[in-house]
Amino acid sequence: MNINRLQKALDAEKLKNDAITSNIANIDTPEYKRKKVKFEELLKQASDIDKVNPEIKEVRDMSTSRLDGNNVDIDQEMSELAKNQIRYNALISQVSSQFDRMRTVLRG
Amino acid sequence: MSFLNSIDVSSSGLSAQRKRMDTISENIANSNTTRTEDGGPYKKKKVIVKENKDFASVLNDKMSGVKVDSIYEDGSAVKREYDPSHPDADEEGYVLKPDINVVEEMTNMISTSRSYEANVTAMNAVKSMAMKAINIGR
Repeated sequence: MNINRLQKALDAEKLKNDAITSNIANIDTPEYKRKKVKFEELLKQASDIDKVNPEIKEVRDMSTSRLDGNNVDIDQEMSELAKNQIRYNALISQVSSQFDRMRTVLRG
Repeated sequence: MSFLNSIDVSSSGLSAQRKRMDTISENIANSNTTRTEDGGPYKKKKVIVKENKDFASVLNDKMSGVKVDSIYEDGSAVKREYDPSHPDADEEGYVLKPDINVVEEMTNMISTSRSYEANVTAMNAVKSMAMKAINIGR
């Protein structure tokens, strides 16, 4: 796998983390709408993977039964946060091992 | 540094929840207060929070934190209680007291405390991700 793609995936995970942090900070803000990062869907549709960039979307559906116009579900956000962290760590170790391999090649 | 940006977002959440907590404690502490600076009984306070969205953040697709918009004083949260021996009683023997439901304040306190913890968890997650990123290539 090439490092540039891993870097892009890391950026996407970082952006997702930003969105989750913002959702958690605004858990009690009336009329706040949940933010979501679109990346995997775009990758599936893309013909050239290297041109795909993650996008931030505001989700306007009222999937939770809250009365204050806010649609953040704290359980969902916390589990997304946990998943995101695992994915991020996995990507980091991928990048690290890529560099390790390069180092092995250089030193012989 | 964009990692620091999301730590800022979490910290704005932390300070907003702390402000709510302060207000709840104030409401509970003053649940029997009949005298205030501007006269009359203590008025129940409520923190109104707002998404911290400015023009620059919308333009750059940045994430928004939260901020305390205002502290609302509920002037209608006053009850009349019959207590003729009270020094603040009117001619008919009624005292104006703040109408604060302590149970409601306690449940608000628990929910505030949970939201605070959620923000702490998010901040720790960001921090550990940043620390991991520092270790790339070591």
